[in-house]
Parts: sequence; structure tokens; C-alpha cells
Amino acid sequence: MATTTPGLQSQLMTLNLGPQHPSTHGVLRVVVTLDGEEVVEAQPDIGYLHRNFEKIVEAWALPGVIPFSDRNDYLAAIANEVCVCDAIETLGQVELPDRARWLRVLFAELQRIISHELWYGAFGMDLGAFTPFLYGFRDRESGYLLMEKATGARMLYGFNRVGGLRNDVTDAWLKELEAYLDFLDKEAWPEYMKLLIDNEIFVLRTKGTGVLTQEQAIAWGASGPVLRSTGLSWDLRKKRPYLVYDQLDFAVPTGTHGDNYDRAMVRMLEIKESIKIIRQVMKRLPDGPVLGKARASVRLPTADYYARQESPRGEVGVYLVGNGRPNAYRLKWRAPTFSHLQLVPLLCRGVKVADMIANLGSLDVVMGEVDR
Amino acid sequence: MNDVLAAVLEAIAVLCYVALNAFVLIWLERKIAGHIQRRVGPLRVGGPGGALQSLADGIKLFSKEDFRPGGRDSLVWWLAPLVSMTPAVMVFIAIPFGQHLIVHDMNIGLIFIASISSFGLLGVFMAGWGSNNKYSLLGAMRAGAQLFSYEIPAILSTIGVVLAAGSLSLETIVAKQSAHWFLFPQILGFIVFYIAVLAETNRTPFDLAEAESELVAGYFTEYSGIRWAMFPFAEYGSLFTGCALATTLFLGGWHGPLFLPGWIWFLIKTYILVFIAMWIRWTLPRVRIDQLMDLGWKFLIPLSLVNILGTGAYIALVR
Amino acid sequence: MSLPRTVWNTIKSVVIGHSVTAREIATRPITVFYPEEKPEFPTGSRSVPVLKVNEESGYINCTSCGLCERTCPPGCIDIEQAVDPATNKKKPWPHSYTLDLSHCMVCNLCIEACPFDALEMLDVPELATYQVQDLKFNKEQLLDLWKTGKAIRIAEGQPMPSN
Repeated sequence: MATTTPGLQSQLMTLNLGPQHPSTHGVLRVVVTLDGEEVVEAQPDIGYLHRNFEKIVEAWALPGVIPFSDRNDYLAAIANEVCVCDAIETLGQVELPDRARWLRVLFAELQRIISHELWYGAFGMDLGAFTPFLYGFRDRESGYLLMEKATGARMLYGFNRVGGLRNDVTDAWLKELEAYLDFLDKEAWPEYMKLLIDNEIFVLRTKGTGVLTQEQAIAWGASGPVLRSTGLSWDLRKKRPYLVYDQLDFAVPTGTHGDNYDRAMVRMLEIKESIKIIRQVMKRLPDGPVLGKARASVRLPTADYYARQESPRGEVGVYLVGNGRPNAYRLKWRAPTFSHLQLVPLLCRGVKVADMIANLGSLDVVMGEVDR
Repeated sequence: MNDVLAAVLEAIAVLCYVALNAFVLIWLERKIAGHIQRRVGPLRVGGPGGALQSLADGIKLFSKEDFRPGGRDSLVWWLAPLVSMTPAVMVFIAIPFGQHLIVHDMNIGLIFIASISSFGLLGVFMAGWGSNNKYSLLGAMRAGAQLFSYEIPAILSTIGVVLAAGSLSLETIVAKQSAHWFLFPQILGFIVFYIAVLAETNRTPFDLAEAESELVAGYFTEYSGIRWAMFPFAEYGSLFTGCALATTLFLGGWHGPLFLPGWIWFLIKTYILVFIAMWIRWTLPRVRIDQLMDLGWKFLIPLSLVNILGTGAYIALVR
Repeated sequence: MSLPRTVWNTIKSVVIGHSVTAREIATRPITVFYPEEKPEFPTGSRSVPVLKVNEESGYINCTSCGLCERTCPPGCIDIEQAVDPATNKKKPWPHSYTLDLSHCMVCNLCIEACPFDALEMLDVPELATYQVQDLKFNKEQLLDLWKTGKAIRIAEGQPMPSN
């Protein structure tokens, strides 16, 4: 409630943050009720990027769903593709070649690095530091160039197929990837830490703000770095291993307090772990085809399946129901940041405007995925 | 008659210098920002390095549509850019660029600067109120709290210098530094003053009033064209005067070791301070409003009081 | 956290942060002056599916079977089969072949569906137009586009041609 001084009237102010605003990460609108600088209530309003994904794909043959699913979490397109492919392949009983399995892990982890680089830049921007944004984008751009060389597209790859991958990668490309990882490991990552994450102003701004307890995180369906920052080591790559993650050696970074700083640290450490995973994959990459035989038209049996995977933002899930036709009877997309966006009123009650922006940034919301 | 003519000529000279200086600083800022971020900054206008980019931008801003927000408080909105620009220009009057190179040497020069520069707050506040925009209002409220709070450490930190020099006239203060600068006996004062200057000129890490990621553009969200241009103009003017004042008070003004004209030394020192301010801007994140207040009231003001106490005790005991 | 430690941490981290930006200020910018200086577009990047001209016969391979039209997820391909006006019989080539690039996802699925090797993926990235109607390419335009760049066909999971 607005604090009142005798003889001085004051009232709450409603501020429409977005959908056109520098730090709403797309087209999110937050209706904020303000008491001066303090947020009384923050209510996210979504739907500005709604594309009717789930209904459209019911009419499309399944191979076409894969490139369309890129548009959901457009900053981590491979994670979407791999997940929807997993659902289709499991339900349609399509054989996946060994090399494709390993390459999918490689691309998913490269995507995780690229996505976290973008998050790093955007979060720095939310906190008022402009330079980290451009450093993040500089390295993300080299990552995207690598992706383009391998898949033919920068952002929305359309790279996975039912039963494999569109094309193979060459040894020359793997060498370039190795150089990129070396640069990231030795130069870019320490630079990120020195410039922003270790900065005392950053630490003071993020430590103890946007605190989420483990119970709250579980109750609201949080996943990914947001959940792990509360101390729960829940990573689908470890807990429900898919593809070849059970053969790989990596750690799951967790936080302790569940505040903005822990979320940032978890993401930064995940970049390190992804580099480790890609190195292992490159060492053990088997030869062979990347695309299986039976792929032209896949018909789903009358059954359902829930595929879930660890995207850079959390648990991305596809609930797929088939009824004997070449398209899905129903496809439900579980978007991790949809759940995270529901935390905004909880996290932003009673904080300063500046912290609200930081909370929004540390949740790493992608509106393409929320609105679908 | 001659006095009036001289005053007019002085005013024109100051205005020309302020305009030129703002153009140079804006270009410099964009160049520095570019190179820090592995870009090149302005490049295409006016020969190598795009030196005339600011001029081109100025022409563009002059020719833009004069957009006025609906529901504004017309007079306040119209006056605000002028009110915020005037003090930034007026401060130049009292700054000694070299020996005898000063528009008006006043025996209360420091007080004149302190009182005039406080007016900038008024323009910011008017802009925020008159725009009828919530972002502007929030920015103005922040600016009000911030500029008001940082006036105090800025003035307190200069008192040590005044005690040591025994004068409020800026020429006398510089003249007293011919043997040794006040930087080292007054290092605390210098640090407090420099941080306060950064805060008063709304620069990262203290750019809360125009925090882009939070308030779009803060108090001048609703301004465009030449009206908008007056705000950065005032901002860069006061950045320069802040750094020039730091040079005058702490870095020996026009004194320099080599046989260069005094005003060149003065400008070199000032532009180094300006460069550091820009370097800080493109490196650090922004602080929060309560942290800003804490820094001002709980850290900088006590620190400057300690500085005054130490200086006073030293003068009382030693002399 | 105690005040002296905060002050010390601030000074230390600010100095370290400035050393990073100072090092970057000294390194060469990575800007590419785009219109004058073209960046390296990787071979095999996808921009638009185009009709291929058969080197031997000099005609297009398309038999107007309509597989690509049916495969295309957003339905941006529109084929009209040629008809002999005299006999009113259908002919194995397209009378018109329209591809609406403004709807196209550039997913490569049409190329994989084509059994006659009639489509290829072009790698010319600069196809922007001022009018969205100009992105609707007909048969002749698609053939012209094929000649402007290096078009490739990847349908069997083979590696990208050169990278």
C-alpha cells in the first residue's frame, strides 16, 4: 500500500512495461503497479507472439513439424528439434543411427553455449552494462557461423529429420569447432567473468535479489537453471538420460540461495560443462550414416508419448498423441519459460523497479516459446 | 556600451566553445564505446574517423519533426531543455582555462559553480513532470534524489582544497598549486569529487535517471529533435565542467612540467579525466537506487567529512 | 558483508574489469563493412529452393508430380501441370511453378522429397525486396536464380559440400 504522510496524498501508479520496451526480451507486457520506486504487483501479460503452433501442426505431416518447432524457443532451436524428433521417433519406432545420436548431443550442447552467451549479454544489458552485450554477441556470432557452416542456417536450423540429421559434418568443421571451444574456454569465458559476473556492483545487485526457495521452485514447475540455482540437482541429462548422455562425463552445477546471482553462476558454469561435453563427443564420434532408411513418411500408432529434454532454459517437453495418420492427433508443447514467467508476480512483489528488470532477465524468458 | 559588447562577445565565445566541446565529446564517446566493444564507431562523415558525425547528427536533429506529447504541461515541457542547458553553459564562465584565460574571475568562483550547477536538477525535474509520461516521471524522481544527494559530497569534498588554498577564487586555487598539486594531500577529496561528478552527470554506473533497460530514456523519453539534443548537450557540458573543475581543484589547473601553453595542459588533464569517465561508463553495470543513496550518504559524505577534518587538523597543527 | 571488504572487492573488480576493456580497446575491431565488403557466406547456407536445369537436356527436371507441393509444410509451392491444348492430355512438365519465399521456411524438405533431382537449394543470401509480392517467384525467375549462385542438393544425409 502507498505510504501516506499526514496532509500529503499519494496513490499507486500503474505502468505498462512493454510490449515495446528495451528489456522485455521480445514482446512481453508486464502490468506493474508501482508505489514510487517499489513494485506492488507485477502481472505478466502474454500472447503477443502467439502463432497457433499446437493447432497448426495437427494439420501438418510430421517431418514439417520439426522446422516449425524451431520457432518456439528461437534462441535454442536445436533443443526443440531434438525433443520433437525424440517424440516422433519413439512413438513411430524409427531407428536412429549411432552417429546421429552423438551429433545431436554435440549440437544441443553447442546450442546451449550459444544460448547462454546471449543470455549473458542480455542480462548485462538489463543491469545497465552495455559492453558485455556486445562481447556476448561477438562470440555468439562465431557460434552461429559454425552452425551455419554445419546446418545451412544461422538460427532456425531445420537440421534434424525423423531418424537422423539432414546432413553430416566434415572433419574440417570439427577442427573449426575445436578452435572455437578453445577460444571460449581460454579467452571468452574468463573475460565474461572478469567483466561482469565478478564485478562487485553486479554481485551487490544480484545477490539476495529475486530469491526463490526450493519449495517454491518445485511448486511453480520451474526447471533448468532456475530450479538448479535453488540447490536441487535436477538435470534431465542425468536423471532421465536420453541420446548418449549416460556415456558422458559432466557435472551439474547448482546454486544454494536461488537468487539472481546463483542463476547467473549456474548458467556460466553450464557453458564450461557444455564445452567439456562437446570435447568428449568429438573424441568419441562414431563413423557411419547420419540418416536412417525409413524416414519418408512416418505414421504414428494410436498411442501417446511424452518426450522431455533439458533445453538451455529447462525442461522442454512434447506430448504427442498419434492415431494412425501421418500427422499428430495432438501435440502439446511444454515450454520451460512459460512456467518461469509465472514466477514474475512472486519474485517482483515489493522489489525495486531495477530489481524487477534483473529478475526478468535472470529468468531468461523467450516469448516465442511462452506464446507458441 | 563597451561592457555590454564585451559581455555579448564573451557569451558568444562561451557558447561556441561549449557547442564545439559537446560535439567533440559525443564523437569521442561513440569512438571509445565502439573500440571497447570491438566496433569502429562513427566512420563515414567527415574524413577519417567520422569526426563530423556529431555535426551531421545535429543537422538531422534540427530538421526533425517537432513532436509534442499529448497531455503535456506545455510551458514546463517547453522550458525544461533550456533550463537544463543554461547552467551547463554558465558554469564555463568561472573556469580558468589558463592564467588570465577566464571569462570572469570571481572571488567566490567555487560557490558560483556549485550554486549554478544545482540548477540542472530543475530542468531534469521539469522535463520529467511536463512530459506526462510515467517513465519520465520515474526518471525525474530518481534524478531528483540522485542529483540532490550528490551535490553534498561534491561540495564537501572541495572544502579541503579551499582550506588548503585559503581562497574560493579558482584562479587563486590554481596559483597555489604551482609547487605541488592538491591531488596527493587531497586524494580522498579527489576520489569523492570524481565519483560525485559521475553521479551528477548521470553516467554509468550512476545513470539511473535515464536507465535505458528500465525507464526507456528516463526524463527525456518524450523529447525528440533539437529539444532532445539539448539534454545530451547539457550532459556533456556538465561532464566537461565537472572534469575541468576536478583539474582546477586537484590536478594543478594550467600548471604542467613542460613548456607548453597553460591552457593546453589544462585541456590535456581535463580530457584525460573525461576519457576515464567514458571508460568507466562502458565497463561497469548500473547500481540500484538504494545502493546509490547508501554510497552517497553513508560513504561519500562521511569520507569527505573525514577529509575536511584531516585537512583542518593538519593546517591547525602544522602551520 | 563488511564495509572494508566491499570497498576492497569493488576496487579490485573495477580495476580488473577496466583491464578487460582496455585490452579490447587495443585489439582490432571485428566490424565487416557489409555493403562494400562482403562477409564470408558459408557454402551450403540455405536461401531459396530453385529449379535446376539439366546439363544434358537443357530443360528442367521437374515432371510436375506435386510431391514437393504436398511435402511443403507451410504450402508455399504451387504447381500447375502443363496440358496439351490439342489433345487435352496432361504433359509431364509444369505449366507454372510458383514459390512464395515470404512463406517459405527454407527447411529443405521439398528437395528431399523430389525423386527427379529437379530442385536445388540456392546459397545467395541477398534476396530482400521492398514489396512482399516480389518474393513470389515463378518458374522463369526460379530458373534465373539457379544461375546466379551455387545451388546444391542435400537429401541423403551427406556432409555439407565444403566447409
